[in-house]
Order: sequence, then C-alpha cells, then structure tokens
Amino acid sequence: MRCWARISAVLLAPALLAGCVEVTAPERPIEINLNINIRQEVVVSLREDVRDLIERNPGVF
Amino acid sequence: MTRRMKLMIAAGLGLAALAGGTAYAFVYQADAAGQLRATGLVGEQSDGYLGLVGSASADIRSQVDAVNIQRRAYYTDLASRRSATIEEVAAATACTLFATRVGPGQYYRLPDGVWRRRNGSEPVPRPDHCG
Repeated sequence: MRCWARISAVLLAPALLAGCVEVTAPERPIEINLNINIRQEVVVSLREDVRDLIERNPGVF
Repeated sequence: MTRRMKLMIAAGLGLAALAGGTAYAFVYQADAAGQLRATGLVGEQSDGYLGLVGSASADIRSQVDAVNIQRRAYYTDLASRRSATIEEVAAATACTLFATRVGPGQYYRLPDGVWRRRNGSEPVPRPDHCG
C-alpha cells in the first residue's frame, strides 16, 4: 500500500506523515509540570481499565 | 531420627519461613500508598503520581519514589495495550484516585500546583481532564 511505503520513508521525509493518521512520534518530552496535554475522550475510554488497575494493586494506588 | 525425617523438618521450616516472609511483604505492600497519604506528608497529584506536600524525610521520599516507579510501570503497560500515552493513562488514573482514594484530611494537587486538604467528607474536585 502507498501509505506503508510512506511510513518506511518516515525518517527521510517526516512531512509525508501527514497522510498516515495512526503514526505518532515515539518519544515525548518529559513533562515537569502538571499541565499536561490530555485527550479527554481517551481518559473516558480508559475508565474501566483504570478501575481494574487500581483494584488489583491496592498497595500502589 | 532418620535422615529422611530431618530433611522433612528442614523443608517444613524453610516453607514456613518463606510463607512468613511473603505474608510480611504482602502486609507492607497492601496499603503502602494509603499509608503514605495518611501521613499528611504525601498527597495525590492530578498527573497520576504521589507527591510530597512539603519537605519530607529521606525515608518518606524513597517510599514515594518506589510507589511512583511501580505506578509508572503499570501506566506504561496499560498505555501500550490501549494505544494511549503514559501521561494519558496516568491522568485517567488520577481521576479515579481523586474520587476514591483521597480520604478526609488528606492532600491533593490540581494542575494549578497548589496542595489542598480535603475538608471532611466533602468531595475532592476533579481535574478538568476527567470530563
């Protein structure tokens, strides 16, 4: 597929990424303040997973 | 006493010691975060990690670090399974922690960076990202 060809060229031509929505940057800068950029719909979609995580690890949470 | 009996007794003692150690580790682990929050020196932050409310001893600091390292490992794992970032998983967890784990008189910190103390059983305000 043409899109995959573009992904393989990502290191040489990052601008071509515009057409491939799923690809995200692998590294993010470390945030040192609490005002991090959070996608609210992702937070909502994680609700069940997060509840399980907390209940299964009471010592950590 | 036969050699076999001696071996059995030694094995039994070994097993008992192992079980005791595991039980102790479990008791310690079972409420580490809760005990830290209860000291009043440590609070929950909207970024999904524990933070130091003021200055704290090296012992408290190392316990907070240990809990946060474990949290980050869990966040990283969940993020990779759900195509989310670690920060998003952490922030989503903070929403539930704020709602369920910050007890009366315990501390929390919203994105404005100010530590606040939960007043009695009044609900803890939720960070904006919680929706």
